[in-house]
Amino acid sequence: MRWVEYLLRRLMMAVLVLVSVSIIIFVIARIIPSDPAAAWVGPRPTQEQIAKARLELGLDQPLWVQYYRYASALLHGDFGTSVRSHQPIATDLKSYLPATLELVMAAMFIAVVVGIPLGVLSGAKKGSLLDHLTRLISIAGVSMPTFWLGLLLQLLFFSRLGILPIGSRLSNEIALYNPIQVKTGFYLLDSVLTHNWLAFKDALIHIILPAFTLATYAIGLAIRMTRSSMVEVLGENYILAARVAGIPERVVLFVLALKNAIIPTITVLGLSFVYSLTGAILVEVIFSWPGLGSYVTNAVLSIDFPVIVTTTLVVTVFYVVVNLLLDLVQAGLDPRVTLQ
Amino acid sequence: MKTKNRPILIVLLLVLSLVGAQCTPKPAPEATAEMPAEVTEAPAEVTEAPATEPPAAQANRASIFVYAHPTEFPDLDPAKSYSNDSVIMSNCYETLTFYNPPGNDEVLSPKLAVSWESNEDATEWTFHLREGVKFHDGELFNAEAVKYAISKTTELGIGAAYIWGSVEEMEVVDDYTIKFKLSYSAPLDLIASTGYAAWMYSPKSYEEKGSDWFAEGNCAGTGSYTIESYERGSRLVMTRFEDYWGGWQPGQFEKVVFEISQDPVVNQQKIEAGDADFTYELPPDNLEALKANADLVVYENPSFQNLVGLLNTKKPPLDKVKVRQALSYSFPYEQFITGVMGDRATQARGVVPAGMWGHGEELTQYSYDLDKARQLLTEAGFPDGGFKLLMTYSSGDLDEQQLGELWKAELAKLGIELEVQGMNWEAQWDLSKSDPLQAQDIFVMYWWPDYVSPFSFLYSMFHSEESILFNLGYYSNQEFDKLVEDGDVMTGVDKEKAAEMFIQAQQILLDDGVSLFFYDVKNIHVARVDIKGFVDNPAYPHVVFVYQLSR
Repeated sequence: MRWVEYLLRRLMMAVLVLVSVSIIIFVIARIIPSDPAAAWVGPRPTQEQIAKARLELGLDQPLWVQYYRYASALLHGDFGTSVRSHQPIATDLKSYLPATLELVMAAMFIAVVVGIPLGVLSGAKKGSLLDHLTRLISIAGVSMPTFWLGLLLQLLFFSRLGILPIGSRLSNEIALYNPIQVKTGFYLLDSVLTHNWLAFKDALIHIILPAFTLATYAIGLAIRMTRSSMVEVLGENYILAARVAGIPERVVLFVLALKNAIIPTITVLGLSFVYSLTGAILVEVIFSWPGLGSYVTNAVLSIDFPVIVTTTLVVTVFYVVVNLLLDLVQAGLDPRVTLQ
Repeated sequence: MKTKNRPILIVLLLVLSLVGAQCTPKPAPEATAEMPAEVTEAPAEVTEAPATEPPAAQANRASIFVYAHPTEFPDLDPAKSYSNDSVIMSNCYETLTFYNPPGNDEVLSPKLAVSWESNEDATEWTFHLREGVKFHDGELFNAEAVKYAISKTTELGIGAAYIWGSVEEMEVVDDYTIKFKLSYSAPLDLIASTGYAAWMYSPKSYEEKGSDWFAEGNCAGTGSYTIESYERGSRLVMTRFEDYWGGWQPGQFEKVVFEISQDPVVNQQKIEAGDADFTYELPPDNLEALKANADLVVYENPSFQNLVGLLNTKKPPLDKVKVRQALSYSFPYEQFITGVMGDRATQARGVVPAGMWGHGEELTQYSYDLDKARQLLTEAGFPDGGFKLLMTYSSGDLDEQQLGELWKAELAKLGIELEVQGMNWEAQWDLSKSDPLQAQDIFVMYWWPDYVSPFSFLYSMFHSEESILFNLGYYSNQEFDKLVEDGDVMTGVDKEKAAEMFIQAQQILLDDGVSLFFYDVKNIHVARVDIKGFVDNPAYPHVVFVYQLSR
């Protein structure tokens, strides 16, 4: 029952956060100097066209009326229409959101699989060669500019070695002759679901470089956070007791110690995940990955305010959900943490 | 001590080897929000990616034309599209008439209309349509379809729909003859060749399926290719329309793939490796290397785009003619063109770009002459300058930025302080639409015509406006206005005469020093050497008519 109570309270907070964010971003987007009616019409609007568009888009109404109309449309599933493309934003999101989620999830997977074990070993063997190497990798990971690293990897793996593609989610050959039947928008998943193994292989090869590029920062983070937590935890008495009791070191490190050390790491990784939803813009541009980052950046540059507002809200929803999950996981892992 | 030093030494060694192993030039700077305009130094030589596909796939590859396109496609609805989507539209849809590339004797050639005529004062136009043409959905192209398409486009009223503003009534005389009655004289044959808002699309598809169906990535035109699939932000695939009225020859492309690829360095790598057959907007610094590459052909052609600096004629001291003229003499044209633009631009002469009808070879062209500028300033009462000017330009545009920097240095010599401010277009335009006395002094922007006529340049940027739109120098001259309006009317009747009138109008602007005309932009496209048949057509910017190509 405590859980249910807690969840309900958190959901209420979430709604409050969403409403506040939507109001703030709506107001900001609307008071920035711009003329959405003119943008709707096109690059060469006439005065008549602008006037007509202003009425059609309801831009002559006071701000709170516009907000009310936007919010009620949203609650009915109408995510708004892009001023630039005249298209329902929902259609765009259906395509861009899964693409981004797939990329970011792949990056987080790499970060977890590479970063956490390295962090554990590094913390356990503090001062050793492995530790120094790992710390070097960690610093490199958080310091290297993603843009630069992406170009470098392309140069190495595409131009010089020719073993990985330069970008995009699929090659032209597969897109033309073995297209994936899109069900979820996650190409790796869809190709498996439709037994399209050629496409699966192709999608996998295409996601390697961008996911790895995106992951380097998270790897660096994961190593640092895990290592410092590990060092702390390994100094505890119960660890000593476990070792004395003869429990294999593998278990001591990766089960007993990690369980307590991992909380700061997954918190940071969780936040990094949500940040990357739009923060992956640099990777998206370099690798021609059709994701949310480039979608919203183009919208910001052309002040396509419906897209800006809606995308911000979508990302806010993710933040809220991920935060909630992190808190639940933390409560689950650490009995000292109670749901308050 | 020894054991402690060893790890540090090894680490140092590793760092050194990492640094040494990087056989790349200077790392690219962290990109800012103006991502697509980023220019980085790419390596001069890139080896071709080894072929890894089986021969069958390679044979297929030969019949696919891949266009690495640097921007996305906002709107694929033929009734509304008014942007880079014309690259797609031009292969999917067709217009009644076609604007010929330079080098042709005729300005227009038949497309969906085989012939046309007008009455004496160009208020009535009759078009004879091509027979036996099918839309992609199987419907027949006829006069009813033309009437529908134009009505619908006008009814929706956005994008470039205003080009049909003169059309009062359309009469379907018979299946292949349509008559237009205009409320005022207009060059309808020229208007019908526009790359926006003049596409002929299937009434049945538009009625039944609506705008959203088209925008999702579907096509119902008469063009040689139709859209097969569209992955937003990533890839648009077109395939041959077998029943195309022009017929098919062996060697023509089966499929066309438009890859949306925003980074110029990536596009360069793609075309050098042969993954793309055609692209543009590559890093200007690499032009020489590209030209030297035997696998590539660099096409340099004049475009119909130019860069202007509109002077605020309402705000002192630019309300004085002599001050404005002085500014025109203060810009280092040659230094800028050779030093910054290189092969990418030529100095402008008048408002209308070279190569477009209405361009005047005899028009005044200002040159860099500081003494003259100083003299004019003195005559105007500013012998030592002593005032400040604000120049706004589009942030992220490196050329405009450098232009501002160079000009600032020159104006400083005259005692004029120039503030150069890069702004997002929306903000820049918003500022200019406020009170002219509070707005910028110099508005720098590009202009390109919607339909190919000097009227587009002259009317939009210099005709008196009651509420400010694009006349961002706030110029108002009755004589000029009348000349331009009459010129537009004349265009439908006697184009040569119209050209003369437009040239006269341009001379007025030059005499009044209303704007600086910096340069005419050159189109630079890069293609693989085995692509044959490409002819750049400035009336349709960056469009490749794939039907005309072969490998």
